[in-house]
Amino acid sequence: MTTSLLELRGVNAFYGSAHILQGVDLSVQSGERVAVVGRNGVGKTTIVNTLLGIAAMRGGSVHMRGESLLKLAGHTAATHGIAVVPQGRMILPNLSIEENLKLGASLRRPGEWTLDRIYGLFPMLAERRRSPGTALSGGQQQMLAIGRALMANPDLLILDEPSEGLAPVIVDELEKLLRDLTETGVAILLIEQHLRLVLDLAERFYVLSKGHVSETGLMKDVDRETLQARIMQ
Amino acid sequence: MIINALNGLVYGSLLFILASGLVLVYGLRRVVNFAHGAFYMLGAYIGYSVAIHAGFIPGIIAAAAVLIAVGVALDLVVFRKLADRDPLVTVLVTFGVLLVLEDFVRTVWGTGNYAIDPPALLSGVVQIAGAPFPIYRLFIVFASALMAGGMVIWLRYSRSGLWVRAASHSPVVAAMCGVRTNVLGPLVVGLGAAFAGIAGIVAAPFLSLNPSMGAEILVMSFVVSVVGGLGSFGGAFISAMILGQIQAFGVVYLPEIAALLPFLLMALVLVVRPQGILGNKV
Repeated sequence: MTTSLLELRGVNAFYGSAHILQGVDLSVQSGERVAVVGRNGVGKTTIVNTLLGIAAMRGGSVHMRGESLLKLAGHTAATHGIAVVPQGRMILPNLSIEENLKLGASLRRPGEWTLDRIYGLFPMLAERRRSPGTALSGGQQQMLAIGRALMANPDLLILDEPSEGLAPVIVDELEKLLRDLTETGVAILLIEQHLRLVLDLAERFYVLSKGHVSETGLMKDVDRETLQARIMQ
Repeated sequence: MIINALNGLVYGSLLFILASGLVLVYGLRRVVNFAHGAFYMLGAYIGYSVAIHAGFIPGIIAAAAVLIAVGVALDLVVFRKLADRDPLVTVLVTFGVLLVLEDFVRTVWGTGNYAIDPPALLSGVVQIAGAPFPIYRLFIVFASALMAGGMVIWLRYSRSGLWVRAASHSPVVAAMCGVRTNVLGPLVVGLGAAFAGIAGIVAAPFLSLNPSMGAEILVMSFVVSVVGGLGSFGGAFISAMILGQIQAFGVVYLPEIAALLPFLLMALVLVVRPQGILGNKV
């Protein structure tokens, strides 16, 4: 049996006394594209927040390449090769575009992603490298957030609602970019409410409902209507 | 007139060194640190005690070293432990630290005033616009510029400076990128305390030492921070320079209300631009 890149087993997570994740099981293999879907408020973002130590994990386990992540502090995920493109992008307005990218490389993990390569991928970031990150449009900020995450040379890239607020043509570009990325061996965990990107990109899915996984399967086995119906159940 | 302006520059420089530490700590920890005034006073006394035996430069180094240790301890014991509590709780604890350190100084050094001469190299006067001006006061301006420049270079061009700026805006994003934000806290609070300590010993030959010196100048450095915009170094610089001039010219031209002028300026800024000169809107 091969070891998963990321594996959550029976994870229970809380905000204060609010019990959000109730025994979540989830795994991602190297180079795989996995989606977590579900209605608003079912706990999708809490999966990310648990890995970032924002939501408190009280029960269950998280393993990365078989290694148990016992105490999830804010930097733990990054240390283990997980980079996050958070919901709302969270571009720091007090840093320039280039500084936002350099922040992503804080741990200096070895790999092929460098500032030059990011600028090659997103030339508009290079043109405006000295401008504040928040001077960019929504789509450009999304590229910056992805660039910042790639600068970490991650093994797993988690994207939380990356298509939110983006024009369809930008979502198409994003899908191509993420597909190309997995060909370099990076795994993707896509957390999305809108199904278009999920259907085009993911190989496997998890449906999250009321804090637990209600269904999982291969994307090729479901069509849009079936998946939509399972989300709404 | 020129001498007055220079005196304003000197006082403004001193306020800037002190307020910089306050701004640095507020930026990361979002806490108004009342103990900062006590750090200034403690730095002055420790620097004084070392300087009279070993010289002025060892006095500055000793003040900085002790205050770094005190700042690190404050972060580990107070700021980190109370990070999830109401900020007012932390502010009250820092006020308690101020009172404890004041009593500590009274116990060790007594309640009298102390004075210290500037080092021999910086004694004497120079003629500026036909009037004598103490060399030591020019040194205060130089020291302030050096510290401000050093801090700007550190924050702008070093990795740890980038991390501090990132964590000041969003500890979550900084940590998400792998920055150990808990390590930055002691670094920043230690540095902020060292700035206060250095301001204390640098001010010692210019102002006299007494146990209430911290509380007095703390009020002025709060005015600097509020007028400049909480968390803004650029704002603190502009505001310290303005307040220095107000102080220098106020005592000459409006002596009856000179002490009130900084507070009038603060009230005006709070009415017209509540976030301060360069502060972010809240």
